Amino acid sequence: MVRFKNRWLLVEFVDTSTVDASAEKESLSTRPLDGRLIYNALRDSVVTNFGDTGWGAVGMSLNVKYFSPLTNLCIIRVARDQHRIAWGAVTLLTSIHDVRVIPRVVHVSGTIKHTQLSAIAHNREVIARFRTKLKNTAFHHDSYDDYLARSTREIEALHD
Amino acid sequence: MHFDLNFPVTASGSTSQPKKNKNKQPQQSSQTAFTPAQIKGIEARLDLLEHLGYTVIAFNQSVNKKIDPKTHVNILDGLLQQLRARPGTVFLKRLTIVLDNDSEKGFGLTNANTSLVEPYDVIALLPTTPATFSLACLTHSLPSPLTAHIVALPLTLPRLPFQLKHTLVRTAIKNGAVFEINYAGAIGGESDASLSTFGVSDTGASGKRNWWAAAREVVRVTKGKGIIVSGGVASEADYRGPKDIANLLTLLDLAQNLAHDASVAAPKSLILRARKPFR
Repeated sequence: MVRFKNRWLLVEFVDTSTVDASAEKESLSTRPLDGRLIYNALRDSVVTNFGDTGWGAVGMSLNVKYFSPLTNLCIIRVARDQHRIAWGAVTLLTSIHDVRVIPRVVHVSGTIKHTQLSAIAHNREVIARFRTKLKNTAFHHDSYDDYLARSTREIEALHD
Repeated sequence: MHFDLNFPVTASGSTSQPKKNKNKQPQQSSQTAFTPAQIKGIEARLDLLEHLGYTVIAFNQSVNKKIDPKTHVNILDGLLQQLRARPGTVFLKRLTIVLDNDSEKGFGLTNANTSLVEPYDVIALLPTTPATFSLACLTHSLPSPLTAHIVALPLTLPRLPFQLKHTLVRTAIKNGAVFEINYAGAIGGESDASLSTFGVSDTGASGKRNWWAAAREVVRVTKGKGIIVSGGVASEADYRGPKDIANLLTLLDLAQNLAHDASVAAPKSLILRARKPFR
């Protein structure tokens, strides 16, 4: 039986304004990004860069499966044979809904399992970074714990 | 280990007074100091590069037409002193000379100017005419203290001004030079400000199209060896991670392993070659 193979892309949208270490504003959570906006932006990027044929190749299987506004993590599913086109379109994305972003593909895998593991690890790293910025002590419970638990559940609930 | 060998740095506005630079190592703050705001901007970009995974970064100073011992100011020495040290990141200094018709007679890479050129770790040439292209490939890639290590190409100009002759390219690669592809052209957006003033780049939709055509041509002629990919990015939001760039290169018909080499192995051997003293 010829199986339909997928590639799961783990994309982090790096916010250019928060990379500056001295930024006090917490701009990540104030931006109204969500899965649909990302899908639209991605579709526009594919059409601009690869034309209608590109969209034809990628469009049927392209799916934004998960997005977390706090850590700017996005999980996208594409068919394996066209994943390079979709990956190229992600790289060539410059802005979503007028907000300039830098898309960075953190992990590419063929199964959900490893994408989930990678996503959870990535979330933890980002939260750790936030915590050092706020200079929290280790045993201080903060809202990030809830977020971590919730997002881990959401990620593990993903299915094909 | 990922390399970004083109971090464009332009001279700050404070160098507007006449440069009486007989001293080849300018440390006077009145001539080459970068304002704190500029330093902050550069530090922010370095933070971003670190986050994206680049470990070796070469600051690039561009000079038009030729280096003139009387007016040349090495802005990078001053810059490096003002940046804070980052463990795990290596900073290098690079000089790019934009060659055009006027440079055909000679542009300063002679023995007399060795001391000017020495502080830089990497030297690059950016030819814009067929004659300068053959000059760059043939005479200047021969091993010597003055050798040009990189041949950068203006990929966003409409109609690459010269034909990439296979023989020239092959000689250059055999001598150890590499050809550079700047990925900033693919993303679009404002490109290197200094290049625009020299009239070498073109932005906007046509710039992007030319980039794809020209980059594909470079890949075809070099057959994938002897290519390095670097940033050349002027605006922060155009930076991309190394894996993403490798994927873009595969879209240019470059095999996956060669694309990976272009951002890891080729720059590494280039820098090792550049650092080695020649007899």
